[in-house]
Amino acid sequence: MENAAMNDQATTAPTVSSGMFDDDRQPLEIAREKVSIEVRDLDLYYGNDQALKSVNLKIAHNRVTAFIGPSGCGKSTLLRCFNRMNDLIDICRIDGEILIDGKNIHDKDVDVAEHRRRVGMVFQKPNPFPKSIFENVAYGLRLQGVNDKRKLAEVVERALRAAALWDEVKDRLDDNAFGLSGGQQQRLVIARAIAIEPEVILLDEPCSALDPISTAKVEELIAELKNDYTIVIVTHNMQQAARVSDFTAYMYMGEMIEFDDTARLFTNPRRKATEDYITGRYG
Amino acid sequence: MNAADKAGLPSGQQSYLPSADAMARRRQRRYLADSAARWMVRAGGGGVVVALALIFVYLFSEVAPLLRGASVEQAGQFQAPGYAGSERSLLVLERYDTLGMRHSSDGRLTYFRLEDGSPLEEIRLEVPAGVTVDSVAIGEPRSRRVAYGLSDGTAIVVDHETRLEFTDGVRSVVPAPAFPLGRTPVQVDDEGQSLATLAVQETRDGGTGLAARTSDGRLVFVRFRATTSFLTGETELERRAWTLPRPPGEVRQLQLTANLWSLIGIDDAGTLLYWDISDPAAAVLRDQASAVQEGERVTELKMLNGTFSMIVGTSLGNLSQWFLVRDERAAAGDNIFRLSRVRDFDTHPGAITRIQPEYNRKGFAAVDDAGGLGLHYGTSARTLYLEQVSDVPLRSVGVSPIDDVVIAEDETGRILRFDVWNQHPEVSLKALWGKVWYEGRQDPEYVWQASSGADSFEPKYSMIPLTVGTLKAAFFAMLFAMPLAIAGAIYTAYFMAPKLRGYVKPTIEVMEALPTVILGFLAGLWLAPFLENHIPAVFTVLVGLPLSFLVIAWAFSRLPQSLRASVPPGWEAVILLPVIALVVWGLVSLSPLIEIWLFDGSMRQWFTEIGITYDQRNALVVGIAMGFAVIPTIFSIAEDAVFTVPRHLTQGSLALGATSWQTVTRVVLLTASPGIFSAVMIGFGRAVGETMIVLMATGNSPVVNFNIFEGMRTLSANIAVELPETAVNSTHFRILFLAGLVLFAITFTVNTIAEVVRQRLRERYSSL
Repeated sequence: MENAAMNDQATTAPTVSSGMFDDDRQPLEIAREKVSIEVRDLDLYYGNDQALKSVNLKIAHNRVTAFIGPSGCGKSTLLRCFNRMNDLIDICRIDGEILIDGKNIHDKDVDVAEHRRRVGMVFQKPNPFPKSIFENVAYGLRLQGVNDKRKLAEVVERALRAAALWDEVKDRLDDNAFGLSGGQQQRLVIARAIAIEPEVILLDEPCSALDPISTAKVEELIAELKNDYTIVIVTHNMQQAARVSDFTAYMYMGEMIEFDDTARLFTNPRRKATEDYITGRYG
Repeated sequence: MNAADKAGLPSGQQSYLPSADAMARRRQRRYLADSAARWMVRAGGGGVVVALALIFVYLFSEVAPLLRGASVEQAGQFQAPGYAGSERSLLVLERYDTLGMRHSSDGRLTYFRLEDGSPLEEIRLEVPAGVTVDSVAIGEPRSRRVAYGLSDGTAIVVDHETRLEFTDGVRSVVPAPAFPLGRTPVQVDDEGQSLATLAVQETRDGGTGLAARTSDGRLVFVRFRATTSFLTGETELERRAWTLPRPPGEVRQLQLTANLWSLIGIDDAGTLLYWDISDPAAAVLRDQASAVQEGERVTELKMLNGTFSMIVGTSLGNLSQWFLVRDERAAAGDNIFRLSRVRDFDTHPGAITRIQPEYNRKGFAAVDDAGGLGLHYGTSARTLYLEQVSDVPLRSVGVSPIDDVVIAEDETGRILRFDVWNQHPEVSLKALWGKVWYEGRQDPEYVWQASSGADSFEPKYSMIPLTVGTLKAAFFAMLFAMPLAIAGAIYTAYFMAPKLRGYVKPTIEVMEALPTVILGFLAGLWLAPFLENHIPAVFTVLVGLPLSFLVIAWAFSRLPQSLRASVPPGWEAVILLPVIALVVWGLVSLSPLIEIWLFDGSMRQWFTEIGITYDQRNALVVGIAMGFAVIPTIFSIAEDAVFTVPRHLTQGSLALGATSWQTVTRVVLLTASPGIFSAVMIGFGRAVGETMIVLMATGNSPVVNFNIFEGMRTLSANIAVELPETAVNSTHFRILFLAGLVLFAITFTVNTIAEVVRQRLRERYSSL
């Protein structure tokens, strides 16, 4: 593992120093990590409005990366690029590259549905389907043609346990998912995403609709999940970013202002704009 | 209070809020406006409910009299005028309920005032000396014809006519007896034997038929026709006589049908006998059937209005209806009939002494020797009234031509007069919803045939053909509309480019404003003949059009990316428009060729040959036309339902790696199901109530089947067709209201079920 990391560093370090990335905006620690997602010169337009401006970013494997920034800064847009949810918006146009495990996700031979299976996403508002708890978690597997009751039951239990929800719902798996509380629903949605064995989980403000106790549970869960998944989280809540993430990117007006190790970004930001934001002078 | 003193305002700043008093007054006004609005909304809502309830109450109040039985009230009694002590009598009333007529078996016809029984005029028949009246027979009530059979083999025929006279503008009804065959007796039996039993009937051309059993047991039949020479003005009587086959037993009662084709008799063993006398020279006893059980005798035999049905009354008070039914075993061309016992009525307490049919419908009054009076009705098999009205046995009964007065004479010569309300005897639950054996039919059937030109017509009020027709029309309309509307709604809401959707949705919704009368006449006058001439195209388009979609879709997916990209996403459906036009045109022009190749030139003819009925105006035409009318309703509501499925659900599904199609079938449809369901139900409700299209394109034949190539008559179209020509407050009129009520009940039930199901679906599937 150590060896692999070293190799990784060896291959990526020259790139960093070659000037292709703005050293200023990239955390040094990333060089020691295995890269899961790499964004190169990403421009994104909604019609004539440019929503992302030349974004460069590396997201470390099995780490939590947080995007923070004021409303409308493009952090959710960037997140949605990773599983190509922006494809659903007709007027959206993308330039630049996004590589996941070295593979450009916009390549012709990439199957969008399969890609989205690999890159799971959890939205701001809990969005369980109008089905039972069991069927919600089994949904992704059924999409893939798995209909064996026994296999489904096994995966559902595993996913619900991983999402720390099993003990709360094991006796009412056939109940409608709407009967769960908001926090439970959000963990159910996470379980649903886990069930199809993704590599990356994108969390789009997953706690903004939850009360503090549910938020704490979801945050605990994120810390757990980090061991197995690469996690990217968009949050409005800087404390949350500070608590759960390893790396944090501050975005403003479609630009990535600063990207650094979380501890450093919050204690010793390199840029004034970042400091203004995290100290509350802006935002 | 100074505004500046208010808390919450930094010192030195001017407040623009009104003073506390003004604000209090304003609060008061706001409160009033608020409660006024609340009450108005309540009143409006309540008003709608009340209006609906009133409609229902009104419909029900029009229908309710159908369910009433008859009410009979004794209105007077008097001694029979000219009562001589022991004679038998026939009682007759005239249309204005002012005069009564009494034929007595000693040869007198007495006209009397109905009010008090005072005699007005007595006509004594010119019976030769030494000759007695041995029998009296009455024909169909409407003919007013009575025959007296004499002991010398002759008969006198009397019409108990009345005439209207106006003196000083006051109407009075005066006796005007007529003797169509002359005042002197006419010969019936050539051998001069006494006429022990007699039957008389006026024929359609004014002639008279007489059948009699002579005292020595022979059966004779005579036909008279009076012709007036227009040169001399003299009346000449044409007489033809036949002797009929001898009856097996001793015949007690005889009845002739009005067409003089059949003679019905009953013998003293209670056996009903039927002679076919359509060719009197070759008359034959065609059928006989026992009408009684052990120890029972037949005491009375009469024919109902129209002379199709016989009513048999027995010594045990039983009443049964019989008629002639075509013999199924006989060859198709032969008019061979059999006696069939059709139905029974409630049993009287005593032996039936007299039956008197009503004038214009299929009911009759019966009296018995226990003093019971009964009012019965054939079609509905109802006994509307049966009470003991006298302590003395009743001997005779007469009914008013307008069915509102009944008089009955008892053994002591006392006449009881009753006022009767008996407006709707034709209707019973069984007659409306069950199979009824109508006169002249082979079997009990569901038939709707409310009116006809003939006075002797039996109205057939079965709601089944109309209800089935309504459901059939709605079913085929939904079969056509539902897949198109729902699939269209899903595509438009979920796949179509927003700009294109902006054109498509309003366009389809505008279709709803298309007057259905236009759709109706297009369907009836253009589509129906068009389809009839292109039947193969119906089938080929049904299969070919979806196939062509698949082929085009496959071909499109094989196009190079650059070409495909030239079609913006969500506009792919536009490609299909020329394809649809081309394929339909192609298949329609191919249709005559298919008919030539496969169906000897005419598929319609081929249908007929293989035994499928094909009406030009059929359920297929209605299904398409009414489907067209229903599509906008279903489409619009279903499209809204699909479109309002929250984006976060579809995105959630897509984010889990679902394809668009998987998302639609597994999440979108599920979530939109309450809306789609209510769209379908509202569409169905509309199809059930739709009138103009079915009126113009169905042919309006009230058949009971689900053949797509036959027409139907719906409840709504039936109301539209028949309400203008029915008499207010008649049975028919009220049954049309009942049809309205049934329609109301169907839509009410459908909507209630729809609402309940929708609520439950919504509970289960509505998103947050």
